[in-house]
Amino acid sequence: MQTAHSSIELEQEKVIEEFSQFTDWSDKYEYLIDLGKALPALDEKYKTEFHLVKGCQSKVWLHAFVKENKLYLVADSDTVITKGIIALLIRVLNGQDILDIEKADLTFIEAIGLKSHLSPTRSNGLISMIQHIKSYARNLSITSQPEIASDPASQQALMIRQIKEVYDPEIPVDIWELGLIYTLGIDEHGKVQITMTLTSPACPVAGSLPLEVQEKLMQLPFVTDVELTLVWNPAWSKDRMSDEAKMALDMF
Amino acid sequence: MTTLSSGSSLLITDVTNIRKDFPILSRTIHDKPLVYLDNAASSQKPVQVLDSMDHYYRHTHANVHRGVHTLSQEATELFEASRRRIADFIGAPNEAEVIFTRGATESINLVAYTFGLSQLMEGDEIMLSEMEHHSNIVPWQIVCAMKKANIKVIPILDDGTLDMEWFERNLNAKTKLVAVTHVSNALGTINPVEEIIRLAHQQGIPVMLDGAQATPHMSINVKKLDVDFYAFSSHKMYGPTGMGVLYGKSSWLNLLPPWQGGGEMIAEVKWSGTTYNKLPFKYEAGTPDIAGAIGLAAACEYINQFDRDGMLQYEQALLTACTKAMESIPGVRTVGTAPHKASVYSFIIDGLHPYDIGTLLDQQGIAVRTGHHCTQPLMERFCIPGTVRASFAIYNTMEEIEKLVQATRKAIQILT
Ligand SMILES: Cc1ncc(COP(=O)(O)O)c(C=O)c1O
Repeated sequence: MQTAHSSIELEQEKVIEEFSQFTDWSDKYEYLIDLGKALPALDEKYKTEFHLVKGCQSKVWLHAFVKENKLYLVADSDTVITKGIIALLIRVLNGQDILDIEKADLTFIEAIGLKSHLSPTRSNGLISMIQHIKSYARNLSITSQPEIASDPASQQALMIRQIKEVYDPEIPVDIWELGLIYTLGIDEHGKVQITMTLTSPACPVAGSLPLEVQEKLMQLPFVTDVELTLVWNPAWSKDRMSDEAKMALDMF
Repeated sequence: MTTLSSGSSLLITDVTNIRKDFPILSRTIHDKPLVYLDNAASSQKPVQVLDSMDHYYRHTHANVHRGVHTLSQEATELFEASRRRIADFIGAPNEAEVIFTRGATESINLVAYTFGLSQLMEGDEIMLSEMEHHSNIVPWQIVCAMKKANIKVIPILDDGTLDMEWFERNLNAKTKLVAVTHVSNALGTINPVEEIIRLAHQQGIPVMLDGAQATPHMSINVKKLDVDFYAFSSHKMYGPTGMGVLYGKSSWLNLLPPWQGGGEMIAEVKWSGTTYNKLPFKYEAGTPDIAGAIGLAAACEYINQFDRDGMLQYEQALLTACTKAMESIPGVRTVGTAPHKASVYSFIIDGLHPYDIGTLLDQQGIAVRTGHHCTQPLMERFCIPGTVRASFAIYNTMEEIEKLVQATRKAIQILT
């Protein structure tokens, strides 16, 4: 057995205990819906594209911030059942140590019989929300040292690391190595200026790449805003790929 | 419940027997009997269809059109007999005009790529409607971007019918094809396709219909319609998934270039150049879904055993009863109130999100679809995030509608 339970685990156990009282599905959902309704409304200023977590059936907005190595969350959704689950997630994760959040195994959702709400076919934004919280926590654990958070070179490196997680759908090389990013900079207020292009103006699938880049950058705690400009001039060509990318593509 | 069984008593007695043909209907969901009302997404399959495919794999399977051996010949005969049966089902004069595809989506892509790439010039127009499924939007966007052609969108009126005046006014010499849905999957609207075809043909413009939601409900005759292309999916009409059909007039299919290349679709392959097979094989590259074709033919036969008018009437009675009962619930608003509708009932409830309603209906064993139904531009037109959609098949009952109504009341009560 483990020696010390983190408070995340203790809180999960409490939730499971609470839900074990319900024998009827409707009591359980009524409770969940009450939790959803009681969740304080998110400040309108956070209900923007930047805070929107991708979901197709319902929308989830998430704003997370850190104080003294603890993560704090506020979130909202347009559906009340999703809000109920968000309320539970916040209850379990809010104010917890970022290192614990990064490692947390959120088993309570399955234990209380709500796992189906995390299935991809629901596409309600909850899975993405959890992913966002975790990658946010991961980034925070790296950047929580004040010297990194304010050092331009470290910030640049972290931004590039985030961008390198984005892929053009048909190409097995990340968009940084592909050379799609033309300029990248950040000012002292945390506002990022980025210009990028796409491999071809006719590629409709790649149309979501700019949004993905914005989302990835917004996950960095020191980023407050992202101004992304899509340019076609100069047009992208194979010469812009890094040597690594060229090699990777030759091998495929 | 007596209030609900309006004018359909004749068939209701049969429905008990019909339901026995569909093994899945005896399943339970969350310990409650399954009430399957998501037929517009995909219908369930009768044993007749399941058995036809099972029997084929157990006794007759071999590759088609390839061998002198007995099994291959038997498989080929069965496959081609299926094509004839499906051609009959849609009134196609010539079975070579029935191309097997993966589904309505692939059928539409076939037209978009062959017709679009060979016939469109810069500045030409393709006319679609505001109620199209994404599968009749995106292929045209891709092809129009390649050819610098434009998409014109026929607007719809508030009741979910096409603005036919706009349509007539905007057909012009630049219009190269009209591609519209026969029946709307999100609203149920049955479009006036005879009129659309008449007006387009007056100006020499061909018409493609997306029949994915029409073939499960109405009897289709492509010859009478005089339609140029007709696309549909097997899985929405009691047949297997992964199978679909493109009907095309042979005058068009002979004229258009081939699409996918491979085996079966060739006459002779040489490094200096390849000649193509005749119809329908020109458009069927590679080993086809043989069992799928057999299953779809069995589904056509299954549907054909019913009096088609009676079937339509029964489904209409379900729709009418459902609409009336649901509209009596405070806050329920029907989305799509066209005078002619297939058995698709879309609704929203004031102040409640479709996702929440769908979730609570599911808890009560009721399968409905929630969301935008792959028609985002249409949802935008109505300024709603989506709807809850109940769609009916021949095996649904008045009792199930009553369950939907009760379950919706319960969902509202929990949510408010
Ligand atoms: C009107 C309409 N068109 C096309 C399609 C696409 O059919 P499939 O996914 O079987 O290719 C559907 C399916 O939902 C539909 O409802």
